[in-house]
Amino acid sequence: MASAPAIETAALAKTYSGGVRALAGLDLRVERGEVFAFLGPNGAGKSTTIRLLLDLIRPTGGRAWILGHDCRTASVEARRHVGYVPGDLRLFDRLTGREQFDSLARLRGPVDAAWRNALVERFAVVLDRPIRELSRGNRQKLGIVQAFMHRPPVLVLDEPTSGLDPILQMEFQTLLHETVATGASVFLSSHSLDEVQHVADRVAIIRSGNLIDVDSVERLRGRSLRHVTITFAGQADEVPFAGLDGVRVVETDGSVLRLSVPVAAMDTVVKAAARHRLVDLVSAPADLEEIFLELYRENSDRD
Amino acid sequence: MIATEVFRRGLSDHRRSLLGWCGGIAVYILLLAAIFPSIKGSPELSDLLENYPEALKSLFGLTGAVDITRGAGFVDTELFSFMLPLLAIVLAIGSGARTLAGEEESGRLELVLAYPLSRRGAVVAKAAAVAVEVTVFCTVAYVALALASQVFDLGLPLGRLAGGLLGVFFLALLHGWLAIATGAALPSRALAIGIPAAAAAAGYLVGGLHELAGWLDPFRVVSSFWWVGQAPLSSGVDYSHQLVLALATAAALALALVLIERRDLDTA
Repeated sequence: MASAPAIETAALAKTYSGGVRALAGLDLRVERGEVFAFLGPNGAGKSTTIRLLLDLIRPTGGRAWILGHDCRTASVEARRHVGYVPGDLRLFDRLTGREQFDSLARLRGPVDAAWRNALVERFAVVLDRPIRELSRGNRQKLGIVQAFMHRPPVLVLDEPTSGLDPILQMEFQTLLHETVATGASVFLSSHSLDEVQHVADRVAIIRSGNLIDVDSVERLRGRSLRHVTITFAGQADEVPFAGLDGVRVVETDGSVLRLSVPVAAMDTVVKAAARHRLVDLVSAPADLEEIFLELYRENSDRD
Repeated sequence: MIATEVFRRGLSDHRRSLLGWCGGIAVYILLLAAIFPSIKGSPELSDLLENYPEALKSLFGLTGAVDITRGAGFVDTELFSFMLPLLAIVLAIGSGARTLAGEEESGRLELVLAYPLSRRGAVVAKAAAVAVEVTVFCTVAYVALALASQVFDLGLPLGRLAGGLLGVFFLALLHGWLAIATGAALPSRALAIGIPAAAAAAGYLVGGLHELAGWLDPFRVVSSFWWVGQAPLSSGVDYSHQLVLALATAAALALALVLIERRDLDTA
């Protein structure tokens, strides 16, 4: 158990009672000390996975473990090691932030007050007003602090930065870096690649309850797309490029042709371009968001 | 133990409402008792009630040993036959429905159950909080009645009074824990109120009318009210009957503990 991964799932599946298949046999392994991003659009099965890990809902197939503790048969022990930010955070509206923290602290045991206060200060948490009077962002901050205040070895975060302003999002990313530096692990669900590409070590992409891909952020970028902009001496002609494998013509504008090109097809694109007289050729890496969309597109085509 | 925080939270969340209930019942009891001297020993009232339709007399517990012109009969009729159980049951059902189904419906249960405590631990803690609320309510009613008995010369037998309130306690707790059991089965506060309330209403009618409507008589054993009796002060308290009620109450909690483990938390 000492060497067990932070989170592991084996053929984890969930079909809701209405017959909706939310998760179809998920196999994942989150190592200790890594930030593992779990990406997918809304309804892909991200929250379902997280709620299965926390035993809030029950799997219809497969198993899951947190630090080697079975999430069904030893769920209390598993949850002892987890800090959780729910995707749809609901707190006790009548309490103040301070009272809510104290109540939650008693649910798990003593909290290092100095550490909690440091978190409160970093995120400028409003402690002494009833939660019902707080904005969404201020509530979300309470959700973040309660998840980290026990210094849990595993953090399960469901869209944790929703409602936070950009500066606090950066602060949150710093907190994640610090957290994994101490050996803790982070399971971070998000629908935005932008949010995770600076913090995640690996990224899993999920869609309609199926795992599409797990890869390092670096490799995902590497095997990925390029934006190629070719400026011809004369009128741009998209025809020689449109038929190339994986290449998509984004736009033709006078002498300028914009393409979306998988790295693997770069050679053929350059050779096709070389038959013409060029003024300029620019190739820039696409951001993860586009890679992500391209992966979706491929998978939909395969379906 | 970690679940003690759930117990504390449950009590603390209902603190103000409980205070209102207790204040209300104390004032109600004192006002009611203040009326008693004006009807004490009044034969006209006895004669008037004698002419009530049997069904009404039966529902209000005006049977046999009950003499409304004496303190014990007055309190039996005015409080124990209907009003006191009703208030205690409404308190218990409201509290039981709010603490589990209400919390789940509002989404607040998700974060609590993501902490390291078992669902059963949480349900036991919440059930205990409801039991404490009902205990406080019944104790306040006892103190108010004992006091009123002194002040307004009702001459209530205190032993029977305690026994009668113990019956009210079990009657209320049974329905409060039924509300928890309903919440354990279904994430709906409306049903967690409606189902035990319907059970209480049916129990009241069967308990009150089974003697008049012969065909109802065999069903009296399913009436929670029948097991408590309508006139503990005039007719005495049957503790073996209360034991049956206590067992039914425990069964309601056991049911809740089974049901809570058998489903997904509603997080939509």
